[in-house]
Formats: sequence, structure tokens, C-alpha cells
Amino acid sequence: MKKQRIGVYICHCGGNISDYVDVEQLSKLIQAEEGIIISKDVMFACADSNQKDMIQDIQEQKLDAIVVASCSPKLHTHTFRNVAIRAGINQYNYTQVNIREQCSWAHSDTPMDATIKAYGLIRAGMNRVSYSEALENVEIKTHRAVAIVGAGVAGMRAAIDSARMGNHVYLLEKDFFVGGHVPHLGKLFPTGEDGKEVVTKLYNTIRQMPNVTLFTGAHLEKVTGSVGNFTVEVKISPRYLSANADPQKIHRVFSDCCPESSNPLLYKDKEHRIMYKSYPEALPDIPVVDVERLQSNVAFYEKYKDIFDVNQQLQLLKLNVGSVLVTTGFDFYQPTEGEYGYKQSDKVITLPEFKKLVDANSDQLIYNGKPISSVAFIYCVGNRQAKGENKYCSRQCCTATIHTSIQLHEKFKGVKAYHVYRDIRTYGKQELLYRKSSQLGDIYLKFEEKEPPIVDCSGKQPLIKVKDYLTSKKEISFDTDLVVLVTGMVAREDRTEIASILKIPIGSDKFYNEIHPKLKPVETVITGVYIGGACQGPKNISESVQSALSGAAKINALIKRGTIALEPIVARINADACVWCGKCAEVCEYDAIKSVEFNGKQIAEVNGATCKGCGICAPVCQSDAIEIAQYTNNEIESMIDGFMSKADIKEKTVDAESHEEKKAGMKEYPHVWNQIVTLLDGQKLTIPQISEQLGHESNVITYHLMTMNKYSVVEPAGLDDDEAYFYYKLKK
Amino acid sequence: MPHINPNFSQEIKQFGAKDFEFCFNCGNCTAICSLSTASESFPREMIRYSTLGLEDELKSSLKPWLCYYCGECSSDCPRQAHPGELMMSLRRWITAKYDWTGLSGLFYKYIAAYIIGFLLIIAGIIAFAVSKDFDQEVIMHYGHYFEMFAIAGVFAVILVPNIIRMWIYTIIKPKVKAPFKSYLNAFSELIIHMFTQKRTLLCEDTRETRVRWFEHLILVIGYLTLLFTTVFLDWFGSHNLFVISLGYIESAIIFVVTFDFVLKRIKKKSELHKFSHPSDWFFVIWLFFMGITAFMVRLFIDINIIENNFWLYLLHLIVLVQWAIIIVPFGKWTHFLYRSFAMYFAKISGIKIK
Repeated sequence: MKKQRIGVYICHCGGNISDYVDVEQLSKLIQAEEGIIISKDVMFACADSNQKDMIQDIQEQKLDAIVVASCSPKLHTHTFRNVAIRAGINQYNYTQVNIREQCSWAHSDTPMDATIKAYGLIRAGMNRVSYSEALENVEIKTHRAVAIVGAGVAGMRAAIDSARMGNHVYLLEKDFFVGGHVPHLGKLFPTGEDGKEVVTKLYNTIRQMPNVTLFTGAHLEKVTGSVGNFTVEVKISPRYLSANADPQKIHRVFSDCCPESSNPLLYKDKEHRIMYKSYPEALPDIPVVDVERLQSNVAFYEKYKDIFDVNQQLQLLKLNVGSVLVTTGFDFYQPTEGEYGYKQSDKVITLPEFKKLVDANSDQLIYNGKPISSVAFIYCVGNRQAKGENKYCSRQCCTATIHTSIQLHEKFKGVKAYHVYRDIRTYGKQELLYRKSSQLGDIYLKFEEKEPPIVDCSGKQPLIKVKDYLTSKKEISFDTDLVVLVTGMVAREDRTEIASILKIPIGSDKFYNEIHPKLKPVETVITGVYIGGACQGPKNISESVQSALSGAAKINALIKRGTIALEPIVARINADACVWCGKCAEVCEYDAIKSVEFNGKQIAEVNGATCKGCGICAPVCQSDAIEIAQYTNNEIESMIDGFMSKADIKEKTVDAESHEEKKAGMKEYPHVWNQIVTLLDGQKLTIPQISEQLGHESNVITYHLMTMNKYSVVEPAGLDDDEAYFYYKLKK
Repeated sequence: MPHINPNFSQEIKQFGAKDFEFCFNCGNCTAICSLSTASESFPREMIRYSTLGLEDELKSSLKPWLCYYCGECSSDCPRQAHPGELMMSLRRWITAKYDWTGLSGLFYKYIAAYIIGFLLIIAGIIAFAVSKDFDQEVIMHYGHYFEMFAIAGVFAVILVPNIIRMWIYTIIKPKVKAPFKSYLNAFSELIIHMFTQKRTLLCEDTRETRVRWFEHLILVIGYLTLLFTTVFLDWFGSHNLFVISLGYIESAIIFVVTFDFVLKRIKKKSELHKFSHPSDWFFVIWLFFMGITAFMVRLFIDINIIENNFWLYLLHLIVLVQWAIIIVPFGKWTHFLYRSFAMYFAKISGIKIK
């Protein structure tokens, strides 16, 4: 039913709008329109006093819809929705019209055009609100269970806390062993703990928690449903070990089949083993059988037949969860062949490889059977490429390298370390490491991306030539036994699999994208799907854990109450018109449309929880059976009509009295103005002093004071003693 | 292409450098130095060369001599890398490089070398005294001769060749264009700097700087004139009242000023005195001994007790010989020459310094 009693409020925004848009004239023109009970121009629509007036108007005049023509809806939609609620009408019977950003600011050089455009927009908003419906938020029931994808340190830590908050956690790990990269990093700064210890601790805690279920070898297959009620389908790969095999025997057979490799860099190399683990203490402490290799080694199979079960099948699980947290982590950048001699010379390795080497040697650093007495680290390999793919800095590699270098000195005597870097970014407490490393005599050489160092492996020892920016750009050379490429972090190679299953957007840096890096740092555009840890960008371990934990906390806040309220601005199906052609479901990015049976025919049904109200389905519908709440055909068409309507708008005449009138209208100004006027009575004060005495932020005071200055309520009264701030006093 | 010598930092540490590898190249030291200029900037560059061990760059540089060690760089260093002390150590190292005998390096690096040298001299003088039956007149006569020949010998055999080596390192090898005329034109520079050390006053303008310069100035004048008084006016043998009093004043200046230097090194109040290398100690203490023993010998002569206290003259002779053939040619004394020649060479090469 069309709304008949509409109130329109046109805001001056303290001159921001009214200096260019003739709001008084507009207000009078609108007042004459049909269905308009009240049309007012107000100094600040958002001011408390005006909000009170609006509520009074709505209640006294029995208004059934309101329009506020002021600033961007991003700023004050919720302010005026609340006004509607407090006044006792439905919050969706209110429309915001933006005449500041779109009119006065955009057309400040042609005020007449700004006024004409504002008139059109207000008429459009007025028409729209007359067709507006009273809508109720969608309430959704939530499962108190969480699926966490990826059991690295971030995922494990989030699982523990999410479980402690009373949720059931399904922790899914693609690999057969938990921990991700961390067990291979050796000693960690600043605690000196070994990465393996950290993982073992987390794993043991998880094992003791009844409401965490860990799946290893688990592939995410499919996710359906929406926030509060996702169905997660998981494929579990078997280990091919008999369910009732004696664990001790398994270990015996494992050590029998897999003699320790002398090359620590090859430990993870599964290609040579029938049974393998990612590292000797890997958890869960059950090796995995390479079934093809087992079948080709008949003698071995026959010997230990009873512990194997080659007939095990992939298992498919369906889990019901209220929310999903993705902590899939990252890959280390793999240098291309020939990048600083990588893969062309065995004397060039990456930092992760080198860390394993340091971890595996005890008294003397031996590589390929030869003692190593000098190491050159080349920084920012595959990172910070101004023209390349990975433009970002990986944050943790400077610290990791310098920490490794210090361990090098502590563990092995007399190893010389050269750091060929671009910038050292050992931020925060990590700076102490940088200091320590130079105290230990490490030599730092700085290069620029445009002139990278040259690694010459043709001789007996690698020879490095670098244009050193610390030595007035002199070309300097040095010999080293080993070249270590400090490789940064890149998005996982398999990132798109999970991204397409969960519809997580991928950024230009290929990491998963949150909605807002500061204000919504772990949320994705899919409600109920969160990201944490290094899958969203380079992070060190503590930062990864922090972001995963904040994801866990956000999830708990979401699912704990049992229900979720969602905005009702969603697609609606006209059941009579729908013939289920399926086009709408095809184009829906959010999988929100399914076909259901209705009165003996198939029609489309929209899942109100999943639908984002994007409207992509409406134009593809051939039978015009889809409309979007708040954007119905009536509303849109009437808006176009409203915008095209003409009025006799006159050029604004500026008269001297209008300023005086405005001053007289001080009671309409926000109460802050009155406070400032009272405070400045008989004294001059600076902005910081005023803000301190009134208890408002200084930017609020500045804003009001500048407007008051403009209308000659106050004036500057010279600089303060420090010449830092102006004094202000009342203008007589 | 310069090649890194990773062992250099260990070597320069033997010459007294402390913690210079803490440097993170901020350049505060260079910014704060009153003597550093845009075209001739230090100490950061010197620290960098030392970190990388670029010996050729260091050897050909006059910059170690441009620094007069006010210590401001050290007190303002955010990493406590003591740049001032590195500059001092580089002066020691570079004089060892100038020295063709190689003995400088030995003395700077190993305190044992000093001690052995000193002991040998003590033994030699006692043996000499024994061979002359402790005949006062003969020994004092030879002592006087020694002074003359030692000065001439040390100059001719060690100092002059070393200055030629310095010239080769800093002018000839780097192929600096220096017409013969410029050698003549710049000569006044050499003399002025040698006797005034006026660049000291360009360091931070404090009372301490002025006192230091003044003490240094009167010490140089006192030392040189005492040398003249003893060698050419034969102070110990003179009966001329003027000569005798002149000697007293000169030797008193020496031991009073050096006593103050020793005290300052003990108190370690300013950056300059925080770190004392053995060569620094030997320099000030021996100079002090020289002054005081000379003063006492003449005093004993004047009050006529020298004959019964001949040991005093032997003590003076020991100190003198140790000074003349160890400390002067191979120790800190040479800085006096090299520094003045550095200014001279700088002028010749057209390097603009303050």
C-alpha cells in the first residue's frame, strides 16, 4: 500500500550542503507535493535535537515513512533507521538521499545545477519511500560447531580455543601430519622453543579435548548451506594400515623400511619410501603407506602383511557446522631454475632448506660432505618485486634469517655470515636480533632491486658480486661456501580449490582477501566463513595465531546465541510467475537459489541467509518472477519518475540577513555549539583546551568550531605561546 | 673489484678497535663530526671499509688523519660502535702499514713485543755501564752522543722512508695529479699543521677542546725545545744560567702536562680517554718519565749529589733510549709527523678539507 503520510528532512550539514544547494527553496517545493505532511530544512539532521524532533513529528503527525536528504547512506543509514524504530515505525520505511557527496560537493562550482539535481534525488527518494514495505530481519538458527580447515599452528590454536568456548570443532588437515611448516623451522624466536615442540604441545592438548575431532588426510570436497548451517563434505584418504595392527610393530616395520636419510633436506622426500612420515617425530605418530610402492615390493609386503590393509577406501564424511575458519597457510616461494644459480649449483639453497640443515647438524656445519665456514644470505628472493608478481614484503623472513644466522654462530664455531639485503625489517622486539647479529660480526651489504647481486658458481666456491649501497655503491665481491636464498611467502599453490569451494575472494597478491584489512580483518564476503593465519597474507607465527584466534572469537560471537539476524534485503520469487528455467540459479554467485516443488511445479526458492541481495538474478529472469526487497519494480520505476520530474527552481539570492537568521537558529545547532559558546564566554581557548574541557574528541571540536567561525559566531584570537594553536573567542 | 676480507675486523681489533661491527650505517657519526665535509666525509666510510676489510681503500685514504678524536661521534652513536676509537685504531693500523720495518705492527699488536724491547734496552745499558765501570763522565758523554745519533738515525732510517711510503700509498698509487709546483706551494701547510695542530680547534668548540689543544701545543714546544736544549746547548753540561733555567722549564712542562694526560686516561671521563691502547699508555708515561728524570738529573747536578746517585742518570738514559728507539719510531710519536704530512698531501692533491 502506498505511503500517504511522508516526512522529508533536508539537511544543511552546517553549510556543507546549504552553501551550494538551496535547501530552503527545496524544502518549500517538496512541501507542496502530494503525500508530504512535513518538509523541513534542518541545520544538522543527525544532531540529537533534530532526532528528537523527528520522533515527535512521526508520532504527532502519524507519519508512515521518512526521507532524510543529507550525506552518504554509509554514514547515517543506521542512525535514521534507529530514529524510525524509536518512533515506532518500521526501519525499512525510511530512505536516505545523498545530496552532499552527490550534489553540493560534486557540483560546488554550479550551485544551481546542484540544487536541480538534489531536487530530482529527493523526489526519487520520496517516491521510493512511498512504495517501501515494512520488512523484518531474517532470523537464522545456528549450529554450535566449527570446521577449521588446516591444522597448522594457527588452525590448531584456534581449534583449542573454539572448543574451550563450548563449540564442537572439526579440524581438517589435508596432509597426514599436523603442524604445517612450523616443525621444519627449528628453533623459534624469542622463546628458543623448537617448532616441533610447539606442534607437539598443541597436538597433545587437542588430543585431550573431547570436542575437537581431528581428521588428517582430509580433502575439503564441497560446502553447501549458509551461515549457521553449513554442510561440509570431506574426503578422508586412508593410511593403508590395518585397524588392529600393533602400534609397536608398525614402528618396528617403519624403521626397518626407512633407514635414516643422510641428507636432512630429503627427509620429506616420500619418493623413496614405502612408509613415510614428514619428519621423525611427526604427529599423529602413525606412518603412511605408499600403497603402490608397497605392492611393487612383494617381499616386504609378504613379510609384514598383517599390519597393512591395502583394501582401505576413501571415506566421505558430511559435517554440519555453523561456521568455517580457513587457516590453510602459505607456501614458501620456490626460486626458478637459475634464479641466483638455484638448481644450477648445489651450493645455492633456500632458507627453509638451510634451516633443516642447521637443525640436523650438531658440532660442525656439514653440507654435501663438506664443512661450511661461510654463508651468504640473499634477501627478498621472490618478494618485493616492483615489477614482478609478488610486490609485498613477507614480514618474517628478515627476522627468520637473522635468527638463523645467530644460531649458526651459537651452534658452530667460526662460521662467517654475509647478509646481502635490500632493507632490514626486524620490526618491534625483533630489532634486538639484528643488533645481536651485527655484534657477532655478521657483514651486511645492501643492494637495490634494479641491481641484484650476481652469484657466480663457476669457480670452486660461489663468488658473489654486489653493488653495495652502504659503500657508496661500490661493486664488492666475496667468496662463500654456501648461498642461501631468503625466500618469502606466497599463496598456496592449491589456494583456488578451497577458494572456489568456499567462495573466498582472492586478492591481486593471490592470498585470500578479508573484507577490510583494519575493521573486518578475518571476515570474508561470505557470512560465516572466516580466514586466519598466513592464508590471507604473509605473517609470522604469532601474527598467524592472533588472526586465527580472532577468527575463532568472531565465530563464537556469531554462533553462540543460537540465532542470527540478517538484513531482509534479498531476492523474492513470485511463485505464480516462476517457471523454473534455472537461469537465476546459474548466475547466483552465492548458491542461494534452489528449485523446490510448489503446487505441483518446480519453482525457484531463495535462501534468505545466503542471498546478499546483489540482484543479479532479477534481470535474467524471463518471466519477471524475481524482485529484490527494497528494490522492487515499483520502487525503481517511481524513483526514475521522481528524478525526471521538473520544478520551477529559482536562482538562490544571497542576502545579508540569511547569516543573521542562521545565527538566530542556534537552538537547532547541535548541543556542542551551545557548550562551546558557554565555555568561550569571556575567555579565549585553543581547540585542544576546548576539547579537554568539554570531553569531546578534538576533531569534533575542530569541525564545529570551523563552522562557527564561518558563521561569525567565533573568531581566531592569535596564536598560543608555543605558536602551535590558534585561540578562539566569541565574536561580539 | 674490491674483495671482502672477513678477517680484517679481527686484525683491526688488535690495534684497539672496539665493537665497530655494531654499526648499522646510520651515518650519525658523519653528520655530527665537525671536521667531516660533504666531499671528504668520515667516519662512516672508514667504518664501512673496515667492516668489509677493504685494505687498499683504507691504505690510500688520508681520512684517518683528518680526525682529531673529539669523541662526539662515539658519544652520539646509537649502536655504541665507538667510531672515534675505530678512527684511532685505523691511525695505528695505517702507521703499521707505512712502516717498512714491520715493527710498528708488532708493537701495536703485541704488548709482549714492547716489554721484550724495553728489557733488552735495560740489559744493554746496564751492560754498557758495567763495561765502562760506571764512569759517570764517560757514560754521560756517550749519552749525549746517543741523543744526537739517535735523532739523526731514526729520521734517516725509519721516519723518512716511512713518509715516502705514505706518499706512495696516498698520492702515487691512487694516481693523484700533483704538479711539482703544488709541493712547494703547500709546504707552508706542513709546517703550520706540524707546529700548531690548529685543526684540533675545529672540533666541537668547548673549553675541553681548547685546553686539550693548548696542552698539546705547549707539550710539543716544550718537547722540541728541550730536545734542542739538551742536544745542541748540552743542558746537562752547561754552566749558562739561562740554558739551565730553560731546561728546567721545558722538562717541567713535559712532566706536568703528561701527568695530566695520564690522570685523564685513568679517570676515563671523556670519549677520547675511555679506551687506552698500550701504545697510548707507553707514550704518555714514558714522556712523563723523560721529563721528570731529566729534571731530577739536572737538579742533582745543581745540588751536587749526582755522583753519589748515578743510578738516576742511568734510569734517565734507559727511559731515553727506550723512548728514542722504540716509542718514537714505532709508536704514537709518529702521528705528529704523519698527521702533518697528511694535511700537506691533502693540500697537494687538492682535497678540500676544513
